[in-house]
Amino acid sequence: MKKFLATAIATLALSVSAQAATIKVGVVGPFSGPFALQGKNFKAGIDAYMAVNGAKVGDNDVEIIYRDVPQADPAQSKALAQELIVKEGVQYLAGFYFTPDAMAATPILQQGNVPMVVMNAATSAIVTKSPYVVRTSFTTWQTSTPIAQVAKDAGVDKVITVVSDYGPGVDAENAFKAGFEKAGGKVVEAIRMPLSTNDFSPIMQRIKDSGAGAVFAFLPSGPTTLGFVKAYNQNGLKTAGIKIFAPGDLTQESDLPALGESAAGMQTTFHYAVSHDSPENKAFVEAASKAIGNPAELSFPAVGAYDGMHVIYKMIEATGGKQDAKKAVDAVKGLSWTSPRGPVSIDAESRHITQNIYLREVTKGAEGKYFNKEIKTFERQGDPGLAAAK
Amino acid sequence: MQTVLSIAIDALAYGMVLFVISIGLSVTMGLMRVVNLAHGAFAMIGGYLASYATRDLGLGYAPAILIAVVATAIIAVPIERLLYRRIYGAPELTQVLMTIGITFCVIGLANYAFGPTLKTIPLPETLSGSIDLGFRAIATHRIFAIVCGLIVAGGLWFLIERTAFGIRLRAAVDNAPMAAALGVRTQLVYAVSFAVAVGLAAFGGIVGAELLPVEPYYALRYMVTFLVAVSIGGAGSIPGALIACLLLGAIDTTGRYLAPEYGEFFFYLAVIVIVTLFPRGLAGRFK
Amino acid sequence: MAVLMDSTLPTRRRPLGTLIGIAVIIAASVIGYFLFPNNLALLTRIVATMLLVLSIDLVTGYCGVATLGHAALFGAGAYGAGIVSAHFGITEPLTMTLIGAVAGALAGLVSGIVILRAHGLPQLVLSIAVVHLFHEVANKASSWTGGSDGLSGITTDALLGLFEFDLWGRTAYIYGIVLLLIVFVSLRILVQSPFGMLARGVREDPVRVAAMGASVHSVMLRMYVISGAVAGVGGALNAISTQVVGLDSLSFTLSAEALVMLVLGGTGSLYGAMVGTVSFMWFEDVVSAANPFHWLTIVGALLIVVVLFAPKGLYGSAAAFLSRRRGGER
Repeated sequence: MKKFLATAIATLALSVSAQAATIKVGVVGPFSGPFALQGKNFKAGIDAYMAVNGAKVGDNDVEIIYRDVPQADPAQSKALAQELIVKEGVQYLAGFYFTPDAMAATPILQQGNVPMVVMNAATSAIVTKSPYVVRTSFTTWQTSTPIAQVAKDAGVDKVITVVSDYGPGVDAENAFKAGFEKAGGKVVEAIRMPLSTNDFSPIMQRIKDSGAGAVFAFLPSGPTTLGFVKAYNQNGLKTAGIKIFAPGDLTQESDLPALGESAAGMQTTFHYAVSHDSPENKAFVEAASKAIGNPAELSFPAVGAYDGMHVIYKMIEATGGKQDAKKAVDAVKGLSWTSPRGPVSIDAESRHITQNIYLREVTKGAEGKYFNKEIKTFERQGDPGLAAAK
Repeated sequence: MQTVLSIAIDALAYGMVLFVISIGLSVTMGLMRVVNLAHGAFAMIGGYLASYATRDLGLGYAPAILIAVVATAIIAVPIERLLYRRIYGAPELTQVLMTIGITFCVIGLANYAFGPTLKTIPLPETLSGSIDLGFRAIATHRIFAIVCGLIVAGGLWFLIERTAFGIRLRAAVDNAPMAAALGVRTQLVYAVSFAVAVGLAAFGGIVGAELLPVEPYYALRYMVTFLVAVSIGGAGSIPGALIACLLLGAIDTTGRYLAPEYGEFFFYLAVIVIVTLFPRGLAGRFK
Repeated sequence: MAVLMDSTLPTRRRPLGTLIGIAVIIAASVIGYFLFPNNLALLTRIVATMLLVLSIDLVTGYCGVATLGHAALFGAGAYGAGIVSAHFGITEPLTMTLIGAVAGALAGLVSGIVILRAHGLPQLVLSIAVVHLFHEVANKASSWTGGSDGLSGITTDALLGLFEFDLWGRTAYIYGIVLLLIVFVSLRILVQSPFGMLARGVREDPVRVAAMGASVHSVMLRMYVISGAVAGVGGALNAISTQVVGLDSLSFTLSAEALVMLVLGGTGSLYGAMVGTVSFMWFEDVVSAANPFHWLTIVGALLIVVVLFAPKGLYGSAAAFLSRRRGGER
């Protein structure tokens, strides 16, 4: 049986590379459902890259095949990844918004001889699941650690953490705690609240009662963020001088028009702001805005997808269009380039992206629109989460 | 003591917002015996229209509410005639299927028409700040929501118990053929009640938008919460719904304050206990 | 309590009917195998979901219990099978399936005890509360379940020591079909047994059944446990074939979707459950591949059309139409 399989895969690989005129890339992401906006950003990033760099690498045409997993659903993600590999004959898997979806597809990479480029899913452990995983997004540890230093520098000694009770929330809590205690501060209380929380007033009361000078918060972007930030203002925490620190998920660009005034002055750390000032980013924003239609909807998954495509193009170049997952992944280890978000590189050991993390403040722009204004740079940050897990 | 008082105020405000949104559902479920899972969809339509009216047409808050509520009720009329009328008295599962279908359609269309991002309804100056209660601050719009809830409760009670229309409605509910034989135009009564229920949903969607922000998946996201509130109160009962919402508000708020990490757990445990103790709701007519 | 559904089909002891059913399932799966040789993973998912829908049919179609929380049973099976593999090294697929069935049955017992305490709308709400509780427990016990990251690290031995679970998913698919056949035959026997008749009686008229001296509650509870075992097998199949279990398998969304599939096909008949699952998931796959950005509207419209023009579900309406054509020999 095993032998038969090996031959079958070999024939499959041969047949694909023999007619290598078109190289297919399978992208799995949420293109419908409550997270469709994030999937739309994937598509915009990919379209933007292909618009700028062409749809050809050498002699090979690149074709993207999209598959929809509306919500975290590992079983469906795996079924679709499998279908993409055996039916569509894709040479690369990419996308993956949710961690469980990415995790589910990792076991078939080796057998299918396919590298996976994770464009969003942000739990540190994904890259350890298979040697064929490369990630071009960020991890929650990566974006949440620097804000601890920011809080300490702002003269805060006691902080209360408030996170949504699920994987990334717990990651953020641990990352902040590790960073803040290393800087000499103290986390007085750690609150985990259900994902479905609608009314944050009682949480605000807890924050007040804890006597902490600041709150570290993590919630997934979307409707709850708005409720949280509003409750923070309306329950008088802002006026009481309790500061709020968070990773950039809370002030995602697509939520900013709704958050508006109530988020003004909020400081967050993240790997990318649409407002980032560089020629690379200007070109990216222009192309991606065109691809997405409404520029207000553009946010961070698009840049993960854009850089993911860069990595895939490099892989195709290195393998000359032949299906060879190992060679492809080896080729991008240590690869460095200038991304729209700034200088980045793929760490040779972890295959995760090393990048600058920026401290940003929500600021009102000239035309009355709010944006994340970068005010400080933490250069060349790796992923502290992998080290912490060891 | 201060903490207790503070939790009580939060609970009251949250409970009243829940009440304003779910009372319309209680009317359709209890009086017309339709398991209407599309209720949230109508609340969402109201929210979208109000957001459109204020942000894009530049109307004030009050006229925007009025227009959105009336427009949503008008949208609901053909839906009632063409779709709901077919499922009055149908098995519950059929009603579930139909109303979920309507919900899916509304979500898809909202996504198409307004995009996937959050929509806000800007509050007027007078409602946007906070009021200092001495020991804590509370958002003015929450006070507004509490007042709205009380007015709605009172108004509905008056409509159903004290007016000629209320008499017809109750007659049509208790025994439709008999009421029709006595000259009550039951179809009209149903249509009007449905429009009123939908109007209330829209009103709740607008007033509650600060807590439950308007976005395409609103209709599914909060569906369970509304269903639970109505079921606990006993479908069709105004006092029941009021008590249930306040009770659920209290449980939710207290749980969230004392043990947020188990918040969800306590909430649903409490729901099971209450439903087990009062299988027909705290004051139900639903049989 | 009002009678929930019209009875769609009379059921007599018909071994011939069972044989035809087996033949149809085998024919359909062979056609599926050769028509979509590269979509076997999707077909396996359909089979697993079919088991869930069949299990809902047992309590909804045959006992008249309205539930929006049946994924709790499915998820229990999936996590049961997944946890013994990932944490205890039990990787034999047949054992994993059995453990999944037991876990599902236990979950069925627990949720049955809770859900059967009310009727109608409150019952729906209880079932929702139950599935949320299960979901929350799995989220909390993240050292066992992996929490929201999903339970990964599930490995399975070759089936019977011979057939590896491969990339093409052939083994998983055939294993799923075999499980489906076993479940189908068992359920045919079950619903035609005196116990199955009693359950039907409970749905039609619980008062009369009680007057006959049977305990309505115990009939329904036993049915719930059986239903749990069936759902658990489906969950285990999912865990075995995908090697990962996510919180979504315990979600309200899955429960609601599965119920929709059942009503779409037609309640109160095993064929209805299977037809509903295949049509819904096939439709979803086609439409979302054609236009992933706006398929929800179309699915919603489909549901409305079904209610308006085929109120007994696709299979139920077709069966009713055929028997009318045959001059009502039923």
